[in-house]
Amino acid sequence: MADPFDSLTAGDARLRQLMREYQSGRFEAFDDLYAALAPPLRRYLLSHVRDAAKADDLDQETFLQLHRARHTYDPAYPVTPWAMAIARHVRLMDHRALSRRPRATDDVNDVELPVRGEAASFVERSEVRRALSQVPATRRNAVIQHHVLGLSFREIAERTGIAETAAKLRSSRGMAQLRTLLKGHGAK
Amino acid sequence: MNMPLGLRDRLAADYAPVRPLASPFTRAMWCVPFALLALVAAPLFYDVRRDAAALGWLAWTASLAQATAGFLVIAAALRESVPGRSWSGLSIAAWLAAPAAMAIALTLASWQASPIAVRNGWWFVFAVCLASSAATALPVVTMTAVLAARAYPTRPALTGALAGLGAGLIADAGWRMFCHFSEPAHVLSAHMGGIAVSVIAGMLLSTRLKTSG
Repeated sequence: MADPFDSLTAGDARLRQLMREYQSGRFEAFDDLYAALAPPLRRYLLSHVRDAAKADDLDQETFLQLHRARHTYDPAYPVTPWAMAIARHVRLMDHRALSRRPRATDDVNDVELPVRGEAASFVERSEVRRALSQVPATRRNAVIQHHVLGLSFREIAERTGIAETAAKLRSSRGMAQLRTLLKGHGAK
Repeated sequence: MNMPLGLRDRLAADYAPVRPLASPFTRAMWCVPFALLALVAAPLFYDVRRDAAALGWLAWTASLAQATAGFLVIAAALRESVPGRSWSGLSIAAWLAAPAAMAIALTLASWQASPIAVRNGWWFVFAVCLASSAATALPVVTMTAVLAARAYPTRPALTGALAGLGAGLIADAGWRMFCHFSEPAHVLSAHMGGIAVSVIAGMLLSTRLKTSG
């Protein structure tokens, strides 16, 4: 398997410079760091979690942790092993958190959907369920927890061990996908 | 690939310039005052072991060598706490095995040079040496765990184990300068037990600091 960081090795001097600038007070340097590091980190995460939405969430969480741990980067060393170690840590922590908490149901038929009247006028409950089943599990769970069970994003974040921003992102992406899928059935 | 605005806002909210961490060796130097205290506490407070003259150079150089090894293990723990600078499995095995082998070799050398067995109150002497050795290590292990937590330990239990091992070696080196019982059964159980307690304390402390931080 090709090393996803091969392409970065040549540009590591630039990354080191950007990290130095980010440490010393130029916030904008992180935009360039993100542009350079996000794709390979996401590829790495995706190769382990095999779920695009989950990989996106972990990618963002990794950048949050890179930001928090920015003082630990030593400019004498390459950036990529440092970033990679943090991405690996984020992935393992997520895996550990997942294995410790009860899983939400994967079968959408098990979920009692309180479809509102206005929605019911457009689509049948079964169509909502069918569309929901096509939404990736992490997004689907966020949608169900927020829009069906009424949990706040903070509560979802605490339950699932992710950042509140990530919970919002999952839910909004899930809803957007759900809308697209339901539109395909003639719904609004 | 652009950074999502939500993420960018969140990072910008608590962004401030930072100073990069000092090297692991430099950070380990911050433990030196605590280490020196752990090293000299027992001989200063109680006295030097009564067979010091019989042991000769071994009494001092052995303890000094063990304390130096402990300091190096502390530096290794602080390096382990930096992302991307983790030790390989083989290196970790070496960091754990080499000091243990050194302590065993020094125990046997001391026994050869000045064989003094525990004749009465074996368990009392065992308990005193184990508890005192572990207690003396506590300030060093705490300081090391705090320094490690200020970095970003991705394997906090391992970082803590190395911190505890280093602190335990230093504390035991000091305790050996007072305890004249060179019987291997006593040294390898009570003194090594004190180091083991220090290792466990380091693991618990480091993991706790990581989860609470």
